[in-house]
Amino acid sequence: MNAQVQKPFEEILGYLEGKERIFLMGCGGCATVFHTGGIKDVDEMAEKLTKEGKEIVGKIGLPFAVFACYIPMSSMFLKEHRGEIEKCDAILMQSCGDGAQAVRGYLEEEMGIVKPMYPSNNALGFSSGGPSKFKEECQACGECELGRTAGICPLVQCPKGLLNGPCGGTTTDGKCEVDPTRDCAWVMIYKRLGKFGELDELSEIQEPHDWSKAIRPRSLEVEPINLLEELKGTKKVIETLGV
Amino acid sequence: MKTQSNLERVLEAGQFAVTGELGPPQSADSEIVRRKAKILKGHVDAFNVTDGQTAVVRMASWAACLIGKGEGLDPIVQMTCRDRNRIALQMDVLGIAALGINNMLCLTGDHQKFGNHPMAKGVYDVDSIQLVKMVKDMRDERKFQCGEEMAVEPRLFIGAAANPFADPFEFRVARLAKKVAAGADFIQTQIIYNVDKFAEWMKMVRDRGLHEKVKILAGVAPIKSVGAAKYMKTRVPGMDVPDSVIERLQGVPKEQVSKEGIQLCIDIIDQVRQIEGVAGIHLMAIEWEEAVPEIVEAAGLLPRPRFVT
Repeated sequence: MNAQVQKPFEEILGYLEGKERIFLMGCGGCATVFHTGGIKDVDEMAEKLTKEGKEIVGKIGLPFAVFACYIPMSSMFLKEHRGEIEKCDAILMQSCGDGAQAVRGYLEEEMGIVKPMYPSNNALGFSSGGPSKFKEECQACGECELGRTAGICPLVQCPKGLLNGPCGGTTTDGKCEVDPTRDCAWVMIYKRLGKFGELDELSEIQEPHDWSKAIRPRSLEVEPINLLEELKGTKKVIETLGV
Repeated sequence: MKTQSNLERVLEAGQFAVTGELGPPQSADSEIVRRKAKILKGHVDAFNVTDGQTAVVRMASWAACLIGKGEGLDPIVQMTCRDRNRIALQMDVLGIAALGINNMLCLTGDHQKFGNHPMAKGVYDVDSIQLVKMVKDMRDERKFQCGEEMAVEPRLFIGAAANPFADPFEFRVARLAKKVAAGADFIQTQIIYNVDKFAEWMKMVRDRGLHEKVKILAGVAPIKSVGAAKYMKTRVPGMDVPDSVIERLQGVPKEQVSKEGIQLCIDIIDQVRQIEGVAGIHLMAIEWEEAVPEIVEAAGLLPRPRFVT
């Protein structure tokens, strides 16, 4: 998921200065999990902005698991709200920067609507866990190293991104010198490989990481999925789980 | 001989080697470097110049090395991966070899968080082991990291660091083996105060026959005060300072602590010399270069052999 926190309200108000009619849009994905753009969060933002004298001309609170960044889903809602969006002075996106820019691009390129768009959140990047605690584990470098590092990414877990074992700064109790509250990534890798009896793997010299895969901006084209079929499938599975 | 290095000649001749350390100034003051080099001259076979140690901005290692070389010493450039990507590292390798510097110590580097520019972006494009291999391939295969060939190779005697005290202890020898396989010619260890643990590590080194493939220089350093000893024990990551060391310094009157610190260093040199596979010492009298002549003499390591002038 893309972890995120809401910006200070004063900063958001600053962006909206001189813009009276506001359209709000949230996200049913990560922003819902992080309380930065779920339906409830969009409603709260509408209330707060109204108190500040703004007119909320419309809002989209996306249901859970409907992603602002996934155009086949979010576009259905955008088309539905075209009239309100056309009336607004500015759009406030309660999502990560991905969702915000996907919506901005779709409105402009596919719907011919050009409006100022502002973010209400600061995205912190990939993180995993939940329901309450999350941590960064993958930086989407484009060349996954987990296959040679016991399933623990040292590019993320080691502040020096070392690929050939721990630096000389590991504390005597196996903690990281940069943050002694955290385990050294390579101590974790070492212990995990030991459990499989594969410590020999550590004797291999790993070549430098291929950072060419991380040159930005990256883009990709895939065969589209059949959204409705996939959703039906998900519904079925959830029913069998008895959720 | 792989290089023109004096250190390489001393080690290949089977002499017990002594390397020293010269801390470069936090300024463009060349006189300080010259003064420190003069103190070290005749007492060490080669001297390291740290590369932004503790991530504090100081004179570039290669530049201070060149000044020291002008004083007739054999310099060891320290090169960290913290501030340079693979392109910059290889450019510096070519540059220092072209300047006539013969030795290079490959390090990952202290994290920028600890220095005086904690908001800096760290690079860490390659790690110290990959750096060793990169320099070795440049020297012996005339190849850049990308595989392209060069006309004139950098003839550098390649060093790496080892910390016998950090966790996981068993992996530390495996990591040394990697550095040897990557192409390290010599190793300078973390400062040793826990001689027993170092001896245990050296036994694991000998069990793997690594002492026959690489020259191991045991890191030693005098301690100036009880406070400094306590600081190293509690605040410096990867350091192992036994209580007995602190008690020994506490056991003498305050005005004699630095003298006792020097004697402790001499005693540790005597002890590590007895350990099979130790090819020399790396004496790190950080910001205390004046102590080096006394220590080297009292340890019976004078006169130093001289192969290259």
